[in-house]
Amino acid sequence: MAQSLAKEFTKGLWAEIPPFRLVLGLCPTLAVTKSVENGIGMGIATTFVLVFSNLLISLLRNIIPSKVRIACYIVIVATFVTIVELLMQAYTYELFLKLGIFIPLIVVNCIVLGRAEAFANKNGPLPSVADGLGIGMGFTLSLAALGAVRELLGNGTLTIWGGTPIFEMAEGFLPFRFMLEAPGAFIGLGLMLCLMNLIGKK
Amino acid sequence: MREMINMVVVLTVLTALSGGLLATVKAKTEVQIENQVLKFQKAPAIKGIFPETTNDPLAERFMIDNEGVPLQVFPGKLSDGSKAVAFETKGTGFGGAVGLMVGINVDTDTIVEVRVTTHSETPGIGSRAKDDPSFASQFSGKGLDTNFSMKADGGAVDAMSGATVTSKAVSVAANQAKEIYQKLKPEIVKQMN
Amino acid sequence: MGDLFVLVISCIFINNILLAQFLGNCPFLGTSKKMETAIGMAMAVIFVLVMAGAITWVVNEYMLKPLDVVYLQTVSFILVIAALVQFVEMFLKKSIPALYAGLGIFLPLITTNCAVMGVCLINIKEEYSFIEALVTSFSYAAGFGLALVLFAGVRERILLARVPKPLQDTSIGLITAGIIALTFMSFKGMV
Repeated sequence: MAQSLAKEFTKGLWAEIPPFRLVLGLCPTLAVTKSVENGIGMGIATTFVLVFSNLLISLLRNIIPSKVRIACYIVIVATFVTIVELLMQAYTYELFLKLGIFIPLIVVNCIVLGRAEAFANKNGPLPSVADGLGIGMGFTLSLAALGAVRELLGNGTLTIWGGTPIFEMAEGFLPFRFMLEAPGAFIGLGLMLCLMNLIGKK
Repeated sequence: MREMINMVVVLTVLTALSGGLLATVKAKTEVQIENQVLKFQKAPAIKGIFPETTNDPLAERFMIDNEGVPLQVFPGKLSDGSKAVAFETKGTGFGGAVGLMVGINVDTDTIVEVRVTTHSETPGIGSRAKDDPSFASQFSGKGLDTNFSMKADGGAVDAMSGATVTSKAVSVAANQAKEIYQKLKPEIVKQMN
Repeated sequence: MGDLFVLVISCIFINNILLAQFLGNCPFLGTSKKMETAIGMAMAVIFVLVMAGAITWVVNEYMLKPLDVVYLQTVSFILVIAALVQFVEMFLKKSIPALYAGLGIFLPLITTNCAVMGVCLINIKEEYSFIEALVTSFSYAAGFGLALVLFAGVRERILLARVPKPLQDTSIGLITAGIIALTFMSFKGMV
């Protein structure tokens, strides 16, 4: 039992890590990764929604009629998204402003609905929570990694929390400003995907 | 038929539960959210407009009724003894609404200062309305008989080069603030005392 | 009138929904391998987005605001969009089968297309009037179509090129999108 739970959890961290292996949820990935901090914030918000919606959908999977299941999932997911939105507004307001419209848009993040349909719908509550947590953590890691690359090249700093950077490029380093703009997001993600392919092939 | 009823019942119950849950969370977080908005959006603007006050404009804020729409007003007692108020108005810019906090000296009917609170303008272009003080400083000290439209439209304000739409949004907000103030001044003065 | 024109230009080019706002990227990469599917998807998005923009604006203005439940925005908008897509699908199937044959398979995908939900939320956030909301919805959708068709054109050419193995498929797609986004950046500061 414990072993299979661990398996559900860890598959999200490498074998099925979104958005690299499962090419889903690209919009938030590209939009919010201007810094590590934003990436982690978005990742945690998504993880919260994933875990709770997976849990609830898995508990209700025998009650929900299959014809209206998508509508039910949407209601459940949207409810948790709104809760996250309110909580972030109340406790991490600065982050809330930075992520802006992308918090309510977690509702249409294909990862969340995808996990509901592909996993929580067919499995018990415990594996579903493990699955949600794993995929969510994987997503957070990816966002943080992409955020780190873009922030480092685009701004020359790494900031985890608060204002002071934990790492700065040597003096004389000229930041590639375009990494912080839209094209940098696409190209950064494209190159990271290529790197994953290279490593995965061995 | 039974299936149909089942579907409707499940969906209805689910939506009702969702609504109930959200209402609870909303009620629990409402005060905290209002504080956060004050702290992160309004407080810096107020601080910029009234750098030195003998009172606390944030704590003494009050609401007045502007034709059915509540308006939040921040009273400030300036260090030279005169009284002022600040409130927020909105103009539509190029990326959407631009919020402008306008400080008005009640004794002399002049603008103390204006500050942009929220905007979603293009970084580096329209966003200068917030970051570049020389644009906003055009409003400082102007009497309320001034027309705050762009110079091209017969007003008194120089547009930021390359950011005409954003400049216009700010001037629309400033003109709006002027109108609101002129209409509601008796009410504001009454509330301040 | 002039303001509306500025709005149209800024929504199509400067704030292009795919390349500057990052909304709707999943179908952007998913349906851009062939020109035909790209055009189908673009049409379906324009069709649904204009309707969704109008309906969610009305829902927000005349239902959520008077009842003071604006916090239910996310839940109600997504339900409205999902229901709308279902109705459009049923309607087209029965009444205009020719159009359904073209757009049909893309319609279910639109519910989870964040461009639709995103534009509805932008309309409300920016406090647009009804007319402005309609114009914005259409212009964003047109911008989506433009970028998608451009991208599909480039991608059809890539098929003929010898791409290094690790870069194939999505990876090279993303990099291409980055270069297209770079060209769109030159529209900045135009207004």
